[in-house]
Amino acid sequence: MGLHVGIDFGTSNSGVGIYQNNQVHVLPIDSKNVVPEVVKTILYITTDHKHFIGQEAVELYYKQNINRQRRFVKKWSGEIDYHGADMHYVRDVYVYVDELQPGRLMQFIKTALRSEKYSGTQVFDRFYSLSDIISTYLQALKQRAEALLRDEISGVTLGRPVKFSQVTELDQKAQDTLYQAAMEAGFKRIDFELEPVAAALYYELSLTQPQNVLIFDFGGGTLDLTIMRLGDPHHREVFASGGIGIAGSDFDRAIIQKRMLTHFGKGSVQHDPEILDLINIIPDWAALPELSTPRARVALERAIQSGQAAVRLKALESLIFNDLAFSFYNMVEATKISLSNSGVAVARMKEKDLDIWELYTRVQFEKDIQEHKEQILQVLMETVSASGMEPGQIDAVVKTGGSSNIPTFSELLARIFGPEKVKSSDIFNSVTAGLAIKAGQ
Amino acid sequence: MINQNKIDEWIHEVEERPASAALIIQYIANRLSELASREEELAAQNIALISGRKVEDYENRIANLEYQLELLKRQLGGEIILPTEMPTTKPLVAMVEVLVYNPLGQVLRVEFDPDGMTSGQTITQLTSDASLEDMQPNVLVTTSQEELLFLFDSGRTVTLPVSHLPVFRTDNLPWQQAFILELRIKEELAAIIPIARMSLYEACVQASRRGFVKKVKTSILASHITEKYIGTGVKLPADKTCGLTFTSKEDLFVMVSQEGYIFSMQADHLPVAIEEVVHLGITDHIVTAFATGQKPSILFMTQNGKAVYRDTSWLEPASSFKTKGQPLLSKERRESGTRVVGAAAVDDTDWGITLHADGTLIAHKLRDLLAAGSAATGPQIATILSFSSIHMPEVKK
Repeated sequence: MGLHVGIDFGTSNSGVGIYQNNQVHVLPIDSKNVVPEVVKTILYITTDHKHFIGQEAVELYYKQNINRQRRFVKKWSGEIDYHGADMHYVRDVYVYVDELQPGRLMQFIKTALRSEKYSGTQVFDRFYSLSDIISTYLQALKQRAEALLRDEISGVTLGRPVKFSQVTELDQKAQDTLYQAAMEAGFKRIDFELEPVAAALYYELSLTQPQNVLIFDFGGGTLDLTIMRLGDPHHREVFASGGIGIAGSDFDRAIIQKRMLTHFGKGSVQHDPEILDLINIIPDWAALPELSTPRARVALERAIQSGQAAVRLKALESLIFNDLAFSFYNMVEATKISLSNSGVAVARMKEKDLDIWELYTRVQFEKDIQEHKEQILQVLMETVSASGMEPGQIDAVVKTGGSSNIPTFSELLARIFGPEKVKSSDIFNSVTAGLAIKAGQ
Repeated sequence: MINQNKIDEWIHEVEERPASAALIIQYIANRLSELASREEELAAQNIALISGRKVEDYENRIANLEYQLELLKRQLGGEIILPTEMPTTKPLVAMVEVLVYNPLGQVLRVEFDPDGMTSGQTITQLTSDASLEDMQPNVLVTTSQEELLFLFDSGRTVTLPVSHLPVFRTDNLPWQQAFILELRIKEELAAIIPIARMSLYEACVQASRRGFVKKVKTSILASHITEKYIGTGVKLPADKTCGLTFTSKEDLFVMVSQEGYIFSMQADHLPVAIEEVVHLGITDHIVTAFATGQKPSILFMTQNGKAVYRDTSWLEPASSFKTKGQPLLSKERRESGTRVVGAAAVDDTDWGITLHADGTLIAHKLRDLLAAGSAATGPQIATILSFSSIHMPEVKK
């Protein structure tokens, strides 16, 4: 019988932990990352179906893709049946495929679990179902962990958000897919724990007496809330759980929509639906890399030649055709993160034909995410209410997850519960550590 | 773009957090400084545009591009504007063309269909009143859709499509009827070079008989060709230009001397100014220069018909100039009078054409030549005067 580990499969970052000799060890799973205990939830699959994760995937992606050559070939992809009132005909459908594409980068994989429609994607000559994609990633994590522990891993406690989806069937389907993926990755014993509960278990290690605790787990994909009685391992009690699918990636999208699209022609281009479609797709991280088709290039060149917002559309062309989407999203995320420590940051990106300089303040950021903040406040108050407690009865609010560092949410929690009660847990590792504790029990 | 709304938001930020003010000023100051230097660059470009210097640059580039486009049109059999006095034959299929020429500017063109060709076959027979050897003929094999650059030792150039040269279809080629290129005083025809694919290469290397070379970027060469002059490429009064070779940066450039000394160097390392890269003996001179490209082997042809094959990896690229060269022939063979008459980078599917002292032009499949080790098709072989190789074209039916 092999080891049993805890894995936090997060939207932006993941981690692996193990509980041995009454101690939690979060494994340095990504030696190339600045924080080796955290591995980016990024998967890169090359044309020969080799897989890379984390920082290695990012570096290989940059090496193989930035300013690379492209060669599009028209390929038959299927046919469409037209059924009219008095006619029926079949039409072939062709797509342009970039023959020279060296690999496919996937991020925010976990978000796909809450999608009703997403079943998988074609990666070169092979179709990867969602469970294939996740199992490929989990398998790579497992292999790295086994290499570090020098022992076989057979069991896993996987973290899961309180709600993958508000729809019960979709929520169950998401957990089933995750279970299937873990099986395919080679785990024989699989169990789940709610991510905020896992974070609570880690926090419990620091307690000397029982407390009512609100876990505020705010990561890249979801906000998960749990109110629990902690401090006595034999008498833990969950009073209420809640959550919402709003988190870091939604804030990035809000920044792009409200501050970045003008750099690519929004507001300057009028009455050109084809170009406006291209601009409006920019916030969609999954769709942007797919825009680099000959048709899009022709449309852009036509618009540039006609003189409408030539510099901005040239920037859009550069973003699409120089494979800068990934760098662009990283730049936006980095700007958001730096606003956690400072009132002002500059969103800066300078590449061929692309020069973004956007002075961005915390006031602007808070204005841009105001709608999300209101929804979060509502879920928070609903969860507190469901626990049957008043805010004053909660002894501690434990923040975990990257987005929990955003000052406006810290201020919100301090205002409701009192500043002395708001505590920061290990931002990136507390869930992993808690899952390891659960796995070890 | 900075607008009033954004400025209001920044002011709001400062009101909320006064510490942000210093940062905002710092960021804006940095940006202003960056924009100021960019404005200066743009102003400089504007001056260049207004003064016409930029226009001149662009005009030169346009002229080069138009020239290369014309070459490609001819190569692909597209529409071309022909000089009125030239024949307007446009080949329908890619025929193989053999050109025999000499320093006096006489050029004979014979055409054959590669489909029916067999190894060892005599293509044609040259006839002449004078000794062929004394006329110093050279042979060049190319295709019917090529563009040719005629390079004179004065540095002058002339370009013509192959199809503009009169073609002889008889079994006998009389030198007296050769097409004559008009030479200027004290001028000789140094080489004929196919240039249709010139734009695919990064540079071209001009070589002289005494082992001097200079490298020219193809974009610059195109403008030289437009001006019908590329320079002599020599330093010594007794020296003469002998050829041009197109290369990519990574290609190995090779020169072979008559006495069998080889100079090779990565094209990227060759000099832009005229330099003596190989120091030849007083009686020796360069007979051929070429780039190895993707070809796996080098074939050396001696005057007595010996075909010497070497893998490209056998070459020892020079790391400096004025080298002695890598010897191909042993001292004994050199002293016994063996001389190299031609060499080329080849693979075994290529063909070679040899011109013999008795006037016969013979086609050889190089795979057979490799097996036999000799160009002799019978017990006796007339001295080989020149050798040229070609990768047979796909025939357009």
